[in-house]
Amino acid sequence: MTLTRVAPLVTTTVARQKPRRRDGWVTAIMVGPATVLYTVMLIVPVGLALYLSLTDWDGFSADPAFVGAANYLDLLDDPDLRRAAFVTLLVAAAGTAGLNLLGLGFALLVNGVSRANTFFRIVLFYPHVLSALVVGFLWSAILGTTGAVNNLVTSWGGEVLPFLSDPTWATITMIAVLVWAGFGVNVVLYLAGLQAVPHSLIEAARIDGATRRQVFRNVTLPALGPSVTVNIVLSLVTLLKTYDLVVSLTAGGPAGQTQTVAYLILWNSFHDARLGFGSAQSVLLMLVTGALAFVVTRLRRRGELAVHQ
Amino acid sequence: MLIPLYVLTVNAFKGQQDILTDPFGLGSLTLEPLGRALTNPQFNVVKGYAVTLLFVVAVNLLSVVLAAPAAYVIARSPKRRFRVLMLFFLAGTFIPGQVLVIPVVYVLKTLGLMGTIRGFVLFETVLTLPFSIFLYAGYIATVPAVLDQAAAVDGAGRLRTFWQIVFPLMRPAVATMVILNTFSVWNDFVNPQIILGPGSGLYTVTTGVYAAVSQYATDYTVVFPTLLLAIAPLLVFFVFMQRHIISGLTAGSTKG
Amino acid sequence: MRSPRPFLALTAIGCLSLLAGCGGGGFAGDGQERPSGGGQATVRMLVNITPNLTQAYWDGLVKPFEQANPGIDVKIEAPTGKGVADTLPQQLAAGNAPDVVETLTADETLAKQVLDLTGQPWAKDTPLAEQAKLGGKIYTVGVGVQAQSLVFYNKKAFEKAGIDQPPATLDDFDAVMGKLKAAGWLPLQTGGEFLTGLQLLQLSNPSRAQTLPTWQQDIKAGKVKAGESLLPYLERYRTWIDKGYVDKNALGMKYADAETAFLSGKSAMYVMGSWFTASEAKSKKDFEVGVFPAPVDKGQQYPGPQGATMAAPYMILKSTPQKDAALKLVRWLVTDPAAVKSQLKQDGNFRAGVEREFTPLEKQVQQILDGAPSGVPQGEGYGDATLPKGFNAAWNTEVQGLYVGKSPKEVAEGVDRWLAGRS
Repeated sequence: MTLTRVAPLVTTTVARQKPRRRDGWVTAIMVGPATVLYTVMLIVPVGLALYLSLTDWDGFSADPAFVGAANYLDLLDDPDLRRAAFVTLLVAAAGTAGLNLLGLGFALLVNGVSRANTFFRIVLFYPHVLSALVVGFLWSAILGTTGAVNNLVTSWGGEVLPFLSDPTWATITMIAVLVWAGFGVNVVLYLAGLQAVPHSLIEAARIDGATRRQVFRNVTLPALGPSVTVNIVLSLVTLLKTYDLVVSLTAGGPAGQTQTVAYLILWNSFHDARLGFGSAQSVLLMLVTGALAFVVTRLRRRGELAVHQ
Repeated sequence: MLIPLYVLTVNAFKGQQDILTDPFGLGSLTLEPLGRALTNPQFNVVKGYAVTLLFVVAVNLLSVVLAAPAAYVIARSPKRRFRVLMLFFLAGTFIPGQVLVIPVVYVLKTLGLMGTIRGFVLFETVLTLPFSIFLYAGYIATVPAVLDQAAAVDGAGRLRTFWQIVFPLMRPAVATMVILNTFSVWNDFVNPQIILGPGSGLYTVTTGVYAAVSQYATDYTVVFPTLLLAIAPLLVFFVFMQRHIISGLTAGSTKG
Repeated sequence: MRSPRPFLALTAIGCLSLLAGCGGGGFAGDGQERPSGGGQATVRMLVNITPNLTQAYWDGLVKPFEQANPGIDVKIEAPTGKGVADTLPQQLAAGNAPDVVETLTADETLAKQVLDLTGQPWAKDTPLAEQAKLGGKIYTVGVGVQAQSLVFYNKKAFEKAGIDQPPATLDDFDAVMGKLKAAGWLPLQTGGEFLTGLQLLQLSNPSRAQTLPTWQQDIKAGKVKAGESLLPYLERYRTWIDKGYVDKNALGMKYADAETAFLSGKSAMYVMGSWFTASEAKSKKDFEVGVFPAPVDKGQQYPGPQGATMAAPYMILKSTPQKDAALKLVRWLVTDPAAVKSQLKQDGNFRAGVEREFTPLEKQVQQILDGAPSGVPQGEGYGDATLPKGFNAAWNTEVQGLYVGKSPKEVAEGVDRWLAGRS
């Protein structure tokens, strides 16, 4: 191969003139495929979603009609979407809080190298290895009306507990299962963050006579700032697209009260054959996700700066 | 944390009546339900594993081959256009892939890739690109550029410099991404469900579980053994590899 | 150091070519490759999978056909989505629709995608073919008829509660439930999933069909509001919840749970279609199951028109490259005596003129069908009497609202709002 003759990157001016074109080619080979694929399969679809959201496409007819902003106007007074948006935001907010409180709490508990801690880390992390679909089926077999827990309760003469048959309970159950399945990841991420906290700082604070709580509040937590941001943004972005668990745990019920936006999008698109409308919802979800992630990052950054001043 | 796993395991070896009357006890254990789950005509577990493994390997390889050199160029170049390119890729991390599946169907259909392994693998790979490039670029930035320059002086081309000198140093970052991608491909539900569809006759472990369980959610002699088969190998793998997996994630997240 | 590049490049190339090779195993371009004349033809059929109709059942069903037609290979496809109704649109959108689809009936959107069977001489003699016509054309052919508006009951429970005659009016029905409740039974078995809405449609159909015989058409024409017209039934249902005639936690019961609960004697009555007889025949229990046609309003004719739907409806997709083979298959499925009998038995359905071994319960259902003044479409309906796609599911979600504190009026308005958004 002649590629070996290509000149170094930044160095001498002598080599700079001639191989420049070839250098460009090499760069293109290195960046090109990824960029092209990414554009074709992710950016073009985003554009398509935008376009489809302006049509009444049903998914198979050859001639979708252009309907302008009609789908978006429909979104505004669609009670299903309003409810799903509320559920999704609730899941995202409560879930993020749960994931991060438990994640940070347990990270502090299992910090440090020991056999027991290794065991706890495995136990805390393992649900993440399972797919959300499996997790949902498993929990519905445990908490369902005829599931394990209720069989036990009724055999003791108790009333059936409506874990999945009452909308409020079902929403809480869903959030709890999401947190159960996910906070192990946050534990791991926070553990990584804790390792980055300079030990000398903690020692110094201790020597100055600070209590454990004071050390945590004034030294550890501020140093964990970037970790907190990453964790919150990750949790939010993941929870906002909750879908698989809805399918397997509640199937959107009871009375459609646990449908999330992602669930509604696929339901509208395929079951009701309204892909145009579904696309409008997709666009909305993307905007909200992006905006929330941006806002959280900004807020946290401001918070971190304040801490450092 | 472990109770659900216990319930799952124990009940996978019991009859329906035992499960209903004594869900947490041991009861009389039998291998019969597990045997039936293994031979379920709706979902061939072994084939499901084979198919999913193929996807995991293919996506990981493609992802590394595509993302690593791109990240290298981005990380090493001071040019504005590559900074923009980085942002362009970064935007992808906020696009919920599942929700995009409708227009993706349209694109894949146009390319003639709908319902094919190729189409599915390509799309799954693309979903991994934004975060991979972000992580790799961050990692490469910590590798001293002097190394590249030395190689260049020795007459090595850019491609060779990257694959021979820089790439071997990226092992921890690549390991992290492989772990993350393996989980996400393995556990993905919507994309294989819709992109592969019923016509291809291909099931991943996850879509297979859905096919086998969703209609029989109350027949616990189907639910528990099928779920157990779907997770057991993965869990065993995780327990043995946990040190690498958890430390891999840790390494990746602190660099990124 | 060994260069990792050639290795990686090679694996990547290998991997890609592997994918390319495997891709051929998918169905990309299959449409063009499969010969439609001689040689081996593969007909892909998307079917409904239920506890009665398993994948194994379908494979076995078409085996004799494949043996009789060595050139045709039938490939049964199970839905990957929530059901056929979800999966077919996905496949159509993906451009890889099957050749034959079971379970759905043609509405205005689907009709454009499926083959017009009006010209097939055998099609017009299939059950309900006439009623399911859309714009005068036959698109869907079925194997039999499902009776929808049936109330199955536990004879032992009726006896213990001192009920000697099944109720003929809805008021009687309420009274009977009162007695059953007093005798310590859960009077009526309901459930979650799709069951909630389905049961109320089934139960209300004979009465509603007498006041509004062309309900679906009237709704489409804007003459009648769906929710408003069913408000009396919603109000009645609400009182059942309040009085404890139905389980207030019923939404947590899956379809199969509900069936099991009734068959194990936990509840006294169960509103369901005729296919329930197939489950009943298979179950062991210490009581007898009886059946009566759904009650009607006072002063109406009893029994009223029976909700009737096509059992195992088949359609052929227009896009099929295997038109001849697909036609042959569908014709066989709906006319071959052995195939018809097998399907009727498997899912507890009926067809005039087809004798098969009936269980006592099936015999009664056949009598109810024979005795009904007419068969009428239900809910989303079929043929010209079709509501927008997704009506049944939307109705179901709204009816479930009764359990979670919505008033009947809110539910009715919700249904009408849904319909207003689709027209």
